[in-house]
Amino acid sequence: MDVFILLLEGIFVSFEPLNLGLLVFGCLIGLFVGAMPGLGSVNGVAILIPITFIIPPTAAIIFLAAVYYGAMYGGAISSVMLGIPGASTAVATVFDGRPLAVKGEAMTALTAAAVGSFVGGTVSVILFTLFAPPLAEVALRFNAPETFALMVMAFATFVGLGGDDVPKTIFSILIGLALSTIGLDLITGKPRLIFFNIPGFLHGINFLVLAIGIYGIGEMLWTLEETKGKVQMSKLSVNMKEVGRAFGALKKTIMAMNIGSFLGFFVGILPAAGATPASLMSYGITKQLSKNSKEFGSGVPAGVVAPECANNSASTGSMLPMLTLGIPGSPTTAILLGGMILWGLTPGPLLFTQEPEFVWGLIGSLYIANFFTLVLNIALIPAFLMVLRIPFAILAPVIFVLCVTGGYAPTQSLHDVWLMLLFGFAGYILRKLDYPVAPAVLSIVLGPLAEKALRQSLILSDGSMGIFFDMAEKPIAAIIMYIAIVLLIMPAFGPLYRKFFKKAQTT
Amino acid sequence: MSITNKITVKRAEIAVAVILALCSIALMIKSAENRITWNAEENMGAGFLPFYLSLGMLICTVLTIIKFVLKRSPQSKDDSPFIEADAFKYIAVTIISLVILVLAIGYLGIYFSLIFFLAFYLRYFSSKSVLFISVFSLITPVLTFLFFEWLLKIPLPQGISEPLFYPVYDFMYS
Repeated sequence: MDVFILLLEGIFVSFEPLNLGLLVFGCLIGLFVGAMPGLGSVNGVAILIPITFIIPPTAAIIFLAAVYYGAMYGGAISSVMLGIPGASTAVATVFDGRPLAVKGEAMTALTAAAVGSFVGGTVSVILFTLFAPPLAEVALRFNAPETFALMVMAFATFVGLGGDDVPKTIFSILIGLALSTIGLDLITGKPRLIFFNIPGFLHGINFLVLAIGIYGIGEMLWTLEETKGKVQMSKLSVNMKEVGRAFGALKKTIMAMNIGSFLGFFVGILPAAGATPASLMSYGITKQLSKNSKEFGSGVPAGVVAPECANNSASTGSMLPMLTLGIPGSPTTAILLGGMILWGLTPGPLLFTQEPEFVWGLIGSLYIANFFTLVLNIALIPAFLMVLRIPFAILAPVIFVLCVTGGYAPTQSLHDVWLMLLFGFAGYILRKLDYPVAPAVLSIVLGPLAEKALRQSLILSDGSMGIFFDMAEKPIAAIIMYIAIVLLIMPAFGPLYRKFFKKAQTT
Repeated sequence: MSITNKITVKRAEIAVAVILALCSIALMIKSAENRITWNAEENMGAGFLPFYLSLGMLICTVLTIIKFVLKRSPQSKDDSPFIEADAFKYIAVTIISLVILVLAIGYLGIYFSLIFFLAFYLRYFSSKSVLFISVFSLITPVLTFLFFEWLLKIPLPQGISEPLFYPVYDFMYS
């Protein structure tokens, strides 16, 4: 009952004129950034964070969450119409969305994507509302050792479940952490890693500089290389008959909706996962379980619904650990978490007691944003198709302008703009060589928090690392630490498992 | 053989791994300017974490190099160009123009630098008319000014062009 009242209050908060205006604006921007190839929720949120400095934190989080949400819907538009995913979260949508468009059923694909996103979003927001308060209550009992163990688990998840090259993934985590140590030492106040005595390093490296560099500059370079501005748009006829037919086709997608919604939510909670693997897994499982699995890939609505349900559900799921534990569930929530610190908030369970308007305003806004995005998405399809015709040669410099101004604004230092460029170029090259970049962004956000928790824990234990493995004194920290160790060593068993499996098959 | 064909994925992989290994060593040396030990009495030295994080980075790059030598990574067997020849122009011109943009911001200020950057970029890559490019290149910095200086009250760097903005500030704050 309490939850219901708090949720109602949150919904009222999101209906306040400023919040509602920003919510609708955020949904529109999200749909736009999601639809544009090369831009996704993470790019949109990273580039837009600097403009939230003048608004209250609640309005800021509602705006950025709406951008995040809208981008999940928007990604499907270019997947279907151009055959290029608007964002990595919509990669799986291409598999059946594009063939549907080629067959002349683009409206069916777009409607399936929008309705799937709405269902996934709604189910996940309900799960979020139910799970968040009890999880926050448990997390309130966490002290420094538990917090540090959780962060180690977040990093370990990238290694165990990320699926990327292990040394490269660990390198990415470590470089993010090393960059976060630049500046003044938390305890001794001594300057660390001040290269060439440049004073700009004394204030450390703002996570936004890395995030905008990698997801703004780096991603634009990547997209310029991939598309070279050459895209082929499918034809689309929009009339009531087409829309009616599209809704009719959704009757056969109930299973895909269920799989996408629930799987997406739980995959989204995992720090390394996020919406991209959730959508791919949802597509794969729906295909496996479907009676018509052979038709997948040739253009079936269930093949669009499954990933779209999952990516929206995962985006909401990834906010659960961000709000309750202070651990982001996706690269976008890592940036949102950094934003909270910039707005003067302390991410974690205390938010529920100290900033209820912020937390419940955000949760309430997710319900509203879900509805608005569905309506805006379907109503504005023709407008988004016009936007998709904007040549990349025009869009790219505008994004660069936003990156440069966004990199300068937080600290008003040109030094940060140079660093942002450097990270952008480096991120582009590293990404081309399959170095995952998301762990670096997560690490630079969590780095200072992890260091503080580590050093507080070591002061508590008189310098003994045993505090993290003591089942009698700190059982939660120990269990989390052991899970982290399992995750870290998991990739080592992959080749062994494959070898054994192959041998078993041949015998 | 063009430069883009010479720089293969294979070569880029090993070159980047070696550069990252050297950077890791440089970070370790830099970290060692502070105390890198840790014990119960003195707790953790300011250089301890950066030093061991850099050491970890070095180990990861060495593992990447070993995987390359043993041909265990996909990149170690990939002789395709690191950047396709037709995409190289986009990437090179973009990087150079961005570097010049940031250099110019320090001298000319952001608004005039943006005008030149946008005009050049659009002229080079798009087939839009001179009129469109001119209007677009002028409107974008004006909107940037209004957004940051008027709405957010965040001054952006103006370099030598600063005196030109005094009348605008007088108007805005009078």
